[in-house]
Amino acid sequence: MLTYILRRLLLMIPTLLGMTALVFCVMAMSPGGIGGAALAAAGGNVRGAEAARIRAYYEKRYHINSPLIVQYGRWLNEISPIGWREDDDGNFTTFGFKSPSLGESMERHRPVGDLIAESLPITLLLNFITIPIIYAIGVWTGIRAARHRGGAFDSIFGFTQLAAWSMPTIWLGVMLITFLASNQYLHWFPAAGLNEMTASQMKFLPFFDPAHHWHRGWVLDVCWHIMLPVACLSFGASAFLTKLVRGSVLENLGADYARTARAKGVAENVVLYRHVFRNSLIALITVAAAILPSLLAGSVIIETIFSIPGMGQLGVEGARFQDREVILAVTLIGGIITLVSMLLRDIFYVLADPRVSYD
Amino acid sequence: MTEINVSTLTPPADPYPAPNAGNVVDAPVSFTRKVLRLTFERIGAQLGLFWIVLIMVLAVFAPLLANSHPLAMKSNGQWSSPLARALTPTDVTLLIASFAALVLWRLKRIRLATRVWTFIGIIIVAAVVSCVTVKPPLVQVYDTYRNGLVSGEISKAIFVPIHYSPDDHQRDVEDARLKPPTLAHPMGTTADSADLASNMIYATRIAISIGFVATSVAIVMGVIMGGLMGYLGGWVDLIGMRLVEICESIPTLVLLLAFVSMFQNHPDQALYIMMVVIGALSSFSYAEFVRAEFLSLRDRDFVHAAQAGGLPLWSILFKHMLPNGMSPVIVNASFGVAGAILIETTLSFLGIGLQNESSWGSLLEQALGAGGNVFWWLAVYPGLAIFLTVLAYNLIGEALRDALDPRLNKMA
Amino acid sequence: MPQPLLELKDLSVGFDTERGQIRPVAEVSFSIYPGQTVALVGESGCGKSVTALSILRLIPQPPGRILGGQVLLEGQDLLKLSERDMRGVRGKDIAMIFQEPMTSLNPVYTIGDQIIEAVTLHQHVSTREARDIAERSLNDVGISDPHRRLQEYPHQMSGGMRQRVMIAMALSCQPKLLIADEPTTALDVTIQAQILELLRKLQRERGMSILLITHDLGVVAENADTVGVMYASRVVEFATVEELFDHPKHPYTEGLFRSIPKLGQHAKRLETISGMVPAPTRFPSGCKFHPRCPRTRKMAESIKAAQPVSMPPGSNVPLETTPIRDADGDIFDVLSKCVGVEPTLREVKPSHWASCHVLENYEKSPPTAPHLEHRREDATNGASSDAQEVIR
Repeated sequence: MLTYILRRLLLMIPTLLGMTALVFCVMAMSPGGIGGAALAAAGGNVRGAEAARIRAYYEKRYHINSPLIVQYGRWLNEISPIGWREDDDGNFTTFGFKSPSLGESMERHRPVGDLIAESLPITLLLNFITIPIIYAIGVWTGIRAARHRGGAFDSIFGFTQLAAWSMPTIWLGVMLITFLASNQYLHWFPAAGLNEMTASQMKFLPFFDPAHHWHRGWVLDVCWHIMLPVACLSFGASAFLTKLVRGSVLENLGADYARTARAKGVAENVVLYRHVFRNSLIALITVAAAILPSLLAGSVIIETIFSIPGMGQLGVEGARFQDREVILAVTLIGGIITLVSMLLRDIFYVLADPRVSYD
Repeated sequence: MTEINVSTLTPPADPYPAPNAGNVVDAPVSFTRKVLRLTFERIGAQLGLFWIVLIMVLAVFAPLLANSHPLAMKSNGQWSSPLARALTPTDVTLLIASFAALVLWRLKRIRLATRVWTFIGIIIVAAVVSCVTVKPPLVQVYDTYRNGLVSGEISKAIFVPIHYSPDDHQRDVEDARLKPPTLAHPMGTTADSADLASNMIYATRIAISIGFVATSVAIVMGVIMGGLMGYLGGWVDLIGMRLVEICESIPTLVLLLAFVSMFQNHPDQALYIMMVVIGALSSFSYAEFVRAEFLSLRDRDFVHAAQAGGLPLWSILFKHMLPNGMSPVIVNASFGVAGAILIETTLSFLGIGLQNESSWGSLLEQALGAGGNVFWWLAVYPGLAIFLTVLAYNLIGEALRDALDPRLNKMA
Repeated sequence: MPQPLLELKDLSVGFDTERGQIRPVAEVSFSIYPGQTVALVGESGCGKSVTALSILRLIPQPPGRILGGQVLLEGQDLLKLSERDMRGVRGKDIAMIFQEPMTSLNPVYTIGDQIIEAVTLHQHVSTREARDIAERSLNDVGISDPHRRLQEYPHQMSGGMRQRVMIAMALSCQPKLLIADEPTTALDVTIQAQILELLRKLQRERGMSILLITHDLGVVAENADTVGVMYASRVVEFATVEELFDHPKHPYTEGLFRSIPKLGQHAKRLETISGMVPAPTRFPSGCKFHPRCPRTRKMAESIKAAQPVSMPPGSNVPLETTPIRDADGDIFDVLSKCVGVEPTLREVKPSHWASCHVLENYEKSPPTAPHLEHRREDATNGASSDAQEVIR
């Protein structure tokens, strides 16, 4: 098992290389080439001495006019823990161990590592809160619908499930903000960001001040801000899971081993929760790996609508400016997350299904 | 007292009689027809089909439903039709094509294949001819009609139900931006001071074309890739699967955004580029389905027979194996169309994508204005349109899936 | 007179399908005595499995439905029990094993867990004791090294072993009746023989009754005491195994035996029963076998001409006699009955029930439910070897 995990981890490397290379090529093919838009934004696209100076600066600092292979090679060198060290003039010095870095953003002129460190936790927070919620809703509703198949719950469920799954996330987000988070209608929730502007001055936990005014505290503030985004994100995915659970439970309820259990005298409840659900778990785990990438894509939209400074937004901006380092870093991290979640899924699969083994 | 014919009890002299004694056999029905009948028996699929036909009608007749040009205008004693003059080749082709479709559909006597080819031929001819002959005026100034009516130059003008074109920015009206619904503008106005209803109607064209073209591209590419991988196996399969894995692991939106900057420089072809790109990115899931099916079909006897008969590769793949492996593709095609529409909507919402024309996504984006202002009509109407369209395709897809997979049918 | 262990009286089961209601089991009656093996024989789709599942009320109630009748276990009607009481019967008084050992065990639990579950459901024992009971059950069915096997998963075992595990699980609570639904159909022939021998041995040791559902007449010949033949939802013949094999009375049973090829026989073609088993949605009127029956054919051939038809067979014909006339206008009574009236089981010979209008004593015997307390050791050696002679 350990060798299997090791092998998978090693196999991730060529896949990641392929991914980043592909994205790099796509970027290079777009008009303006690498860093074109960033350059344009900085005023380097017009004629004149000033613009020429800007162009030269960008070239020296970010090497945007070097051949593509060289640019990609440089980036690979940057992220690897073994490579050539670079001095301030851009010349390569010694070869050996070095600290890997993600480079510098052309548009914001800040180290990409810092940008990611700021934005990744936010995206992860959003997704990691969503996942248990969608599983809880999906499992509860799906089992309920399967148990009372044909009943009122199931019919209503069937109708709303498809509607919920078809609901475009952007529409849901916009509608929620319009009606629940705006000045013109109900202002129950905040419309933007993860914290109020006074967040840094807030205490961590809620408290009462001497004048008996209740203060939210940082934790509750984040919760309040995150409710609408999480609701949006979990809407479609929980509908999908519900249908999956219902189908799997129904299929297993009619399976031969369930019939054997009933013939033994096992109560229907126990058949459901002990025998059937354990088998449906396998299907649930299999689908988990598909859910995470779609959640990541969804969180890009959510971050944009709710102005949450997560990694998705970072990626969108990077794409807009053809900011090489940022896009490559986002692709890399996103790819790592996806591949690791697939590996975790396979590990859980082995744990859940005794028929499967990788040895 | 009823009498019974005894001769029905005597089997023929043949010791191996037809196995129908006591049974009645159904008249044979073609597979396609049976699947279609099963699919559209369900109310969900019927509702979905209704909505899709509705938006298709809107798309085809858009210039006759929402146009700033009057249908007929009397000016200086002369009647003229500015609307007819301003029709674009697209409008004309769509009108001719839908008329032809209606006529051909009614002519049930002619074989289906002939009708389909005739239809395609008519579309091509109409497109070519209209591109050459139909020349709408390059500059359109819509204010002239309204001003003309006021000033009296135009004595009479008959307009279509919504008398605003989608790109009519109402420069003659003061402060027409982002106004809530009124009688004149039943759905309100957009951030460009254009009529929302008009934009919504014209945006149906984008939704429909993106959906179909992107999915067709995806299916064609996916089937070819998957077919080759599944049939040839070996290193073709290995390399192919690695490629598919790589492309699928990339956060899709980031890749799309990377592609998208290509749109910026070619705004006129942006629509087509987008269709192809979305199609290419969606093709991988179809490739996986087809590959799986082909891998299992490869060992079936009829494939061995075809190989032994010396049939060329393309014949084996597409005439023999493909019809047997198409069910997952067909089921997912409908969902795929819904997905393509959603992707386009998202891209337009993010401000990337089509610049010249509005799609439902870009309209939806205007609902959230600066400074926390919200405009409910821009949130409700475009969003509802997207939702209903996606729901319609999903309903049809579900019905198709139940019809094609009898095993699941029994469970549900 | 000793009481039967299980008595089915006019059991009828219906199903709601998309195409209307069907009746896969119609007025089925027979009895099982303690220590007896009763075989229920028929082709696929004749209703034998549904009958067996209905005894334990394992048919899901929508879309299934018990339309009438009684299932008496030692005098108590199982159909009237509450679900909770019924669960007390399942696995304890009546146990069931199924056809597909591959899928009949839960793949994610060890077989030890599954057998212990069966034990602890019906017996108040500690887990420790339950484990011992499970081990002993595995031993009884001939599985070696039972202690280790308890930890194994179903997929680690062969088909024959899995079926043994199923039997061990079923017998762990000492049931009085074991229902075996085609227990050997999915297994190799050699394993088949082993499993059947195991069942016979366990039956002898425990005095258990077995209801053996099968389509294989060879299995019936070797294992059954009494046999019921089912066709299209009804029991059409019921007799001791020797009597059935030596003197079948119903044309369907005759047809079944005729179609078995005999060693040493010279023939160019195999004999078959012409026609096909009717689908439950399209049962013929009257006797369900009449469209395929050689007796009705002979009767029809002897009529010189026919009157024009007014209704095709298979439609709803009223159950009074619908006369069939020949060219001279004479009424063919019996043939009319075959086409219009459903025959019921009658004791046409001592200890031999059949349902056919054409049989000699059919009209004279009253319709009764079969009761045959017969076991194969009662018969003489000659007769039982005759029965086996037919098969070989």
